[in-house]
Amino acid sequence: MTEDKILWTAQYVEGDLSDSERLEFESLLVHDQELKQYLADYYDIHSSLQMELANDVGRAALVETLRSLNTEHFEEAASPKVLKLNHRLKWISAVAAVLVLGMLVWAPWNDDLYQQFNGAPQMSVAERGAEKTDLDEAAALFNDKKYADAKVVLAKLHVADARNAMISYYYAVALVETGEVARGRLLLEELFNGQSVYKYDAVYALAMSYLKEENRTACKFWLEKISKDAAPYQKAQELLGKL
Amino acid sequence: MAKKVHDDQRYLIALLNNEVALVNEIYKKCAGKVKSFVLFNNGSADDAADIFQEALVDIYNQAKYKGLQLTCPFEPFLLLVCKRKWLNELKKRAISPVTKNEDDLLHIGEDTFEQAEALALQKEQANLFLRAFEQLGERCKEIIRWSMKGEAQEKVAETLGVTYGYLRKKKSECMASLVKLIDRKND
Repeated sequence: MTEDKILWTAQYVEGDLSDSERLEFESLLVHDQELKQYLADYYDIHSSLQMELANDVGRAALVETLRSLNTEHFEEAASPKVLKLNHRLKWISAVAAVLVLGMLVWAPWNDDLYQQFNGAPQMSVAERGAEKTDLDEAAALFNDKKYADAKVVLAKLHVADARNAMISYYYAVALVETGEVARGRLLLEELFNGQSVYKYDAVYALAMSYLKEENRTACKFWLEKISKDAAPYQKAQELLGKL
Repeated sequence: MAKKVHDDQRYLIALLNNEVALVNEIYKKCAGKVKSFVLFNNGSADDAADIFQEALVDIYNQAKYKGLQLTCPFEPFLLLVCKRKWLNELKKRAISPVTKNEDDLLHIGEDTFEQAEALALQKEQANLFLRAFEQLGERCKEIIRWSMKGEAQEKVAETLGVTYGYLRKKKSECMASLVKLIDRKND
């Protein structure tokens, strides 16, 4: 009997009872303490699992914010020890620093996959009359890969029309390309949550932003979200194979 | 009697809505304190940042999925959650802490302890449920995992290639098996 009550509770919550069964359950619930407890337990277990398993975009966005605030507030630099370096050591460390920076810029380890798959998107704007609009200008700059300049124009357009998915998408890509990764990702995740035609392009861009950082797990996580009938699906599958 | 919700509930709402300015305020108030506590107790600034982030995500989770309502001030609550987390981490690393358990927290109210305790307990419980979930059959796991993702159930049914009615029936059965598994463990 106990076990039946557990199943019955599940069916009640999941909407798997007929109207008359549901009424019966509810009238019993008024007096049956055991049933009440099962119902409370069910909600408890359900919400806990949801907490663990939900694909929570809000949480992902918060984690991004926390990450960027972490670097701001938890820098090691606060440690008071200052070491005096002798001249030779100074030179050696300077050379080493230049080398490390050089390696970071050149980044030969992620060159191949990222270069191969990032294929910078091209912004196409429908032709309208001879007058050159901000949008045309943004597109020209973007396609020239002048992302920093494009970003300025796109930011203006984005403020004027925040719901325009095309502008959001290219603005987000420009942000990511110019080092404002966290903000870019926030916008891309918003697009992923929406239903625009840029939904899966946004997901692909998110995956690329992680690939650039060599974060393969996060890259895969996003690639796997691309639906079969979306344009970037083939490319995503190919990359998943290589990862 | 239900306790009054504290004004600092706004910090929970800020976490839920990812309001960067208010979240930054949390950092300004608390990050330095957590950092010195962790540094003083054999940790690094990176450890402190990890603990801080984890604590805030836990609070987000409890607020979103468990309806956490703050009845105590936010700052001591967060500090207590972080301290407990770090002491647990030290236990895992088998290092004994410099600071004795919470003896520097005497000025903290009863409520704060209760809420921090509840947070830790619920997290532990969620882990337990997840372990029970892992013991279910593959089909049940697939059905539950998909229906918990947060998408419309009709869409989930479509993805899994079943009817909506079948999904509800199967999900009830699978969830009932899970509850029974958990029940048996607690007996």
